Amino acid sequence: MTIESQQLTGADEVEDPILEIKNASVTYDGGDTHVLNDVTFSIERDEIVGVVGESGSGKSMLASAMLDAIPAPGRLSGEILYHPDEDTTIDVLNLSDEELRSYRWADVSMVFQGAMSSFNPTMKVGSHFKDTLRAHDEDVSEGMDFARQLLSDLYLDPERVLDSYPHELSGGMQQRALIALSMLLEPEVLVMDEPTAALDLLMQRSILMLLEDLKEKYEVTMVFITHDLPLVASLADRMAVLYAFELVEAGPRDQIIGQSGHPYTRALLNSTPNIDAPLEDMKPIPGKSPAPVNVPDGCSYADRCPLASEECTAFDPEFQLIEDEHSVACHHWEQARAEIALNFAGADEIGVSKGGDSR
Amino acid sequence: MGNYYIRRTARVFATVFIVTSLTFGLIRLLPGGPFTQLRVRLLRQGVPASEVDARIANLQNIQPDAPLWRQYIDYMLSAMQGDFGESISLGKPVAQVVAEAVPWTVFIVLVSTVLIFLFGILLGAIQAYWEGSRFDKAISALSISLMSIPFYVIAVLALFILAYQFQWFPTAGTHGTDVEPGLTLEFLVSALEHAALPIFSYTIGGIGGQALAMRGNSIQVLGNDYVEVARLRGLADRRIATWYVARNAILPLYTGFLLLLGFRLGGTVILEQIFSYPGLGYYLWSALESNDYPLMMGTFLVITVALVIGVYIADLTYSKIDPRISQGESDAY
Repeated sequence: MTIESQQLTGADEVEDPILEIKNASVTYDGGDTHVLNDVTFSIERDEIVGVVGESGSGKSMLASAMLDAIPAPGRLSGEILYHPDEDTTIDVLNLSDEELRSYRWADVSMVFQGAMSSFNPTMKVGSHFKDTLRAHDEDVSEGMDFARQLLSDLYLDPERVLDSYPHELSGGMQQRALIALSMLLEPEVLVMDEPTAALDLLMQRSILMLLEDLKEKYEVTMVFITHDLPLVASLADRMAVLYAFELVEAGPRDQIIGQSGHPYTRALLNSTPNIDAPLEDMKPIPGKSPAPVNVPDGCSYADRCPLASEECTAFDPEFQLIEDEHSVACHHWEQARAEIALNFAGADEIGVSKGGDSR
Repeated sequence: MGNYYIRRTARVFATVFIVTSLTFGLIRLLPGGPFTQLRVRLLRQGVPASEVDARIANLQNIQPDAPLWRQYIDYMLSAMQGDFGESISLGKPVAQVVAEAVPWTVFIVLVSTVLIFLFGILLGAIQAYWEGSRFDKAISALSISLMSIPFYVIAVLALFILAYQFQWFPTAGTHGTDVEPGLTLEFLVSALEHAALPIFSYTIGGIGGQALAMRGNSIQVLGNDYVEVARLRGLADRRIATWYVARNAILPLYTGFLLLLGFRLGGTVILEQIFSYPGLGYYLWSALESNDYPLMMGTFLVITVALVIGVYIADLTYSKIDPRISQGESDAY
């Protein structure tokens, strides 16, 4: 799978990467099923990266890959490099079991989607913290003091939460407790996989604000993975868009929102409800994303793309740098910018094309 | 909270009361009625006809010629005081017969049920960890085969082969006739020797069901996110296996355990008959055979009460074991 590795990638544009993902692929069924296809992406120290993709686009696989925790029997290939500081490199996929055990949670930690299912239902929340501390040979009483501090940073009553069973807490409280648990060992990177998916809108907003505060206070790098583009747009410094197990676009937040070059990103933006666009202008993307088996040659979005040409179905578009720090995997990115109008204020207003049907 | 315990306890007494009344009524409905047989027997023994009713009244705390509601009240009142009348066939008070029989039956049922759960949970857990392995498939097949063989078939085979053919085990009784009951090593060894085959045949068939249940529960728990999260948190495998997987997989089996304990008391009727093991079931059977109604009532009642208490304990303790179950209307004050 590394044969078609690209030379020019977005990875090159990050000055001080803390985590580098190189040509990461995840396969099942002995290589027949691709659930992550040759993704190359770097995460800069102390930034918030938003990774956007629809259901089944490989978001969770990307998150798990960063911790080398692909659910069995999946196989992860490629390279995951972790840089605790500028001059040190740790090859995550070649760590021993014991090294991996201490890498996870202490260096790179993760918040799973669905807080309720992340806690053992028959164990008090506090025991989860203590278990984690003991597993990493940390001082328990010191660690619990830090846990209390984290919980109060997240506007929770530490004593009450630690002494509760998971089901005794509300969804938002559980989610915040889970975030505290993932920050317990002061990780450098926090990977969050749909951390707000099960919460109502108000709770989503307040969690986002808390995350920004946490990031400032504890200087943690955050990777925020979600299907909710506007949600992460308010938080992220940089964004990446996944489509059909591949990275299709990556760049600074404002570039992705206002100047996106991939037809999929633009269609995704137009299908998102916003105040500026009347309801009639909201357009769902026709068709559906491909299954992870028998991915066709060429661009995987070609089927649904109004700009698709013969070139698109014949050749895989390269993930190329189109301007500063902004990479797109599309043959027709200039055309896309010109012909697919965005339906909200502040977006570039060049040309009006109705795109038409997928077929 | 306290309110719930009181009401739950009251329900135990209500249930026992209702069951006693039903048993009383059902036995009256048996063809011939409870006292016809007794009357015939007393007459045959040469008791003068004029004295028969008085003798029956004396034996059973019931006036046979009194109206049914009167008989019922008399019976209930004396039953409440622990007086279940006198066994017709054995000529001893029912309470005494039951008191002698109950410990043996409880011993057999308790030990075999505990063994079922121990082996079932162990096998099921190992199967779940090695899901799809040859061990898993072999044990599953064996479990299903064992489940389909009734325990009495195993009992008869064990009795025939191990006790009669090889003569490794005694064929009847609870302990050797030459051994004085008491806390002596000799007595304990003898009691174990006599109980070994009944326990074995009552255990072996039940393991399969529990193993399959535990296997299913464990596989389900293993698929939960919190197990994966625990692994990522770096917890030791043993900690995850016990506190995250086993605990959550065993919990649903707990209620089943207490209920099974009660139900299996009833199953001893056949088991103790096969092994001529004079426990509760053995006496219930002989009471049926000899139309010994007072003894029948007494043994029925003990089995009922045992089941009711089993459910009662399960109800009261389940919330202590599983924090997700709250006690009745714990929040309603």
